[in-house]
Amino acid sequence: MFGFKKLVRDLLMSSDDIAIRIQGLTKSFQIYNAPQDRLKQFFMPRLLKFLGKSDRRYYKEFKALEGVSFEVKKGETVGIVGRNGSGKSTLLQMICGTLAPTDGQVETHGRIAALLELGSGFNPEFSGRENVYMNATVLGLSQEEVDDRFDEIIYFADIGDFLDQPVKTYSSGMMVRLAFAVIAHVNADILIVDEALAVGDAFFSQKCMRFLREFMKTGTVLFVSHDTASVKSLCSSAIWLEKGMLIQEGSPKDVCELYLEAFFEAQQGKSSTTRLRKLEKIRSPSSVKDQRLEFINASNLRNDIALFEFDSDAASFGKGGAEILGVQLLDGFEHLLTWIVGGETVIFRVFVYCQENLTSPIIGFHIKDKLGQTLFGDNTFLTYQDQPVGCSQGDEIVADFVFNMPLLPAGEYTVSVAIADGTQEAHVQHHWIHDALHFKSESSSVSTGLVGIPMQEIKMFKKN
Amino acid sequence: MNPHAAQPTSLFSLGKSIWTNRHLIQKLAWREVVERYKGSVLGLFWSFINPVLMLIVYTFVFSVVFQAKWGVGDAENKTSFALILFAGLILHGFLAEVFNRAPNLILNNANYVKKVVFPLELLPIICLASASFNGAISITVLLIASVIVNGYLPWTVMFIPLVILPLGTLVLGCAWILAALGVFVRDVSQTIGIITTVMLFMAPVFFPLSAMPEKFHPFILANPLTFIIEQAREVLIFGRQPNWSGLAVYMLIAFGVAWLGYVWFQKTRKGFADVL
Repeated sequence: MFGFKKLVRDLLMSSDDIAIRIQGLTKSFQIYNAPQDRLKQFFMPRLLKFLGKSDRRYYKEFKALEGVSFEVKKGETVGIVGRNGSGKSTLLQMICGTLAPTDGQVETHGRIAALLELGSGFNPEFSGRENVYMNATVLGLSQEEVDDRFDEIIYFADIGDFLDQPVKTYSSGMMVRLAFAVIAHVNADILIVDEALAVGDAFFSQKCMRFLREFMKTGTVLFVSHDTASVKSLCSSAIWLEKGMLIQEGSPKDVCELYLEAFFEAQQGKSSTTRLRKLEKIRSPSSVKDQRLEFINASNLRNDIALFEFDSDAASFGKGGAEILGVQLLDGFEHLLTWIVGGETVIFRVFVYCQENLTSPIIGFHIKDKLGQTLFGDNTFLTYQDQPVGCSQGDEIVADFVFNMPLLPAGEYTVSVAIADGTQEAHVQHHWIHDALHFKSESSSVSTGLVGIPMQEIKMFKKN
Repeated sequence: MNPHAAQPTSLFSLGKSIWTNRHLIQKLAWREVVERYKGSVLGLFWSFINPVLMLIVYTFVFSVVFQAKWGVGDAENKTSFALILFAGLILHGFLAEVFNRAPNLILNNANYVKKVVFPLELLPIICLASASFNGAISITVLLIASVIVNGYLPWTVMFIPLVILPLGTLVLGCAWILAALGVFVRDVSQTIGIITTVMLFMAPVFFPLSAMPEKFHPFILANPLTFIIEQAREVLIFGRQPNWSGLAVYMLIAFGVAWLGYVWFQKTRKGFADVL
């Protein structure tokens, strides 16, 4: 029967393009109050059964993971988000094979290299050199292969004279460097990274990111992070785990937004509504100025940015103590814009209606690119820190942000706006609209980076 | 290697694992040997000096102070007792070293269980290898002493590896059992010290079997050390051939225990990560 099932399954889904397949994965831990309970659990049920008495359990069951199923195709990069204790690490450990599932199946195709927590699998007493050999051997390299790659690994890790010191003397950064250097050189098919990269310094992070991006072209990556921004920028899809269950699976942007909403909600109690009722439409623009006219004869590399109207139906969440009515982009003369040009001064204006009394409201925004990476943003907190603009129910507040729009590489952009009450560190989100406004940069002179800044001068000349 | 498949329990799988990881075993075992004397001025030389000093102490205490006689006839001279005693102690030391460390092998290497897919079944083998090294040095010292005292070496010395092989096999099997058991029942590491001490006194190490009252003989003969210690003395000291058929039977049983231990280890290792 089993053989037949397997045959059918193999016929139905070719496993050629699957790197990881997880079906109904469950892990429960038995928690014992005392070590002797573990022994009792081992013997007593058998004894009671033998005596014909009913069963008794000496442990509490804790389900770290419950019925999780998903598939990762070869070459995909999947991000896993979730709060502490949501089962991320348990899942990864089972995929790596260091933890056995209680129920369900894990299937992996290809060599797995994992960076679980700090200095995975290093023996603290051994020197860095010995650990490199040991780790690489365990990951499946032969002695000769390690010999061949040793210099590269050391060059990548760049830990200098510490190579021959015991690993216990390493800083956490050095440990990660070495561990990452090893797994980067074992020709893995599947790479599993458990938020370990946060430890290294900026240079090393860059190096790791370069490697990761290169690896992603061919390999499969499973990436765990609390940092939704890096999940959004690196991954091709994302998974959200909560209390051991898979809540959402899909594009990184969607998953991360939902995750973030839930995160805020959990922090500030239940949200009155996730999609707030629309109060009234903001007054229609009196005079729309099209700046294109002024620049119509300029070069074709001019950074034209097409602007779309405020989307009051965009996904939003918050406690509902205040509501964002509208968002506008104006030029320096307060003319409403439908088109902006990178480098120009613009006013970003937010209208808020107060449903409750707010003692120190903060209004903020950030601009994201299509991967959801935040490019820049700001809020009113610092400016009004000392004399908060307190307001009572029924008041309307307006916030203006005047800034030079940077040059944006061609692509789509969105602006998220939020109104909160409190301080930068501790506040209650009253209304957060994910993509309140979106605009498009058509053509751009930006050659590299996420944003360009207007250059004051660019010179090149021969030195004599 | 598929980390999700059930752990193989066949001897073939064991052989394969040992072969593919031979460099790893070699490295780790050598490390363990060196580690012990790390930082000392004499370094590895201590593994040689230690047995020499021990032998000198035994010779003085038993042969000079106690004037102890083993009772092997006229050929017995002053140092015979010390050599005979030493041979027994070496073999017990070999067994005790592995036994005492086995319950903690997995516990002390939690990293290998939880963070990487490590061939855990090799840990007892590595432990055995380093104990064998120390044992080999001690036997070398014994042989040198024997040459100095008697002026010659019996030709049967060459059989000693064949005598120790069955014991090594048995010890390895027990090490697998103890290593896995030690993870789940932490009391094992406390008990094992007592058990090995009892094994020392319930074996003909300090006295010949004949010195023991008849009614205790079954206990002593049941000790797996007894037979091997006596055979080792035959080849190392008395220059007689070992009991070949006895060794063959012993080897067969040891092999069975080793396989059992390996299977037990492989079956239980899935639970290691849950407990550590």
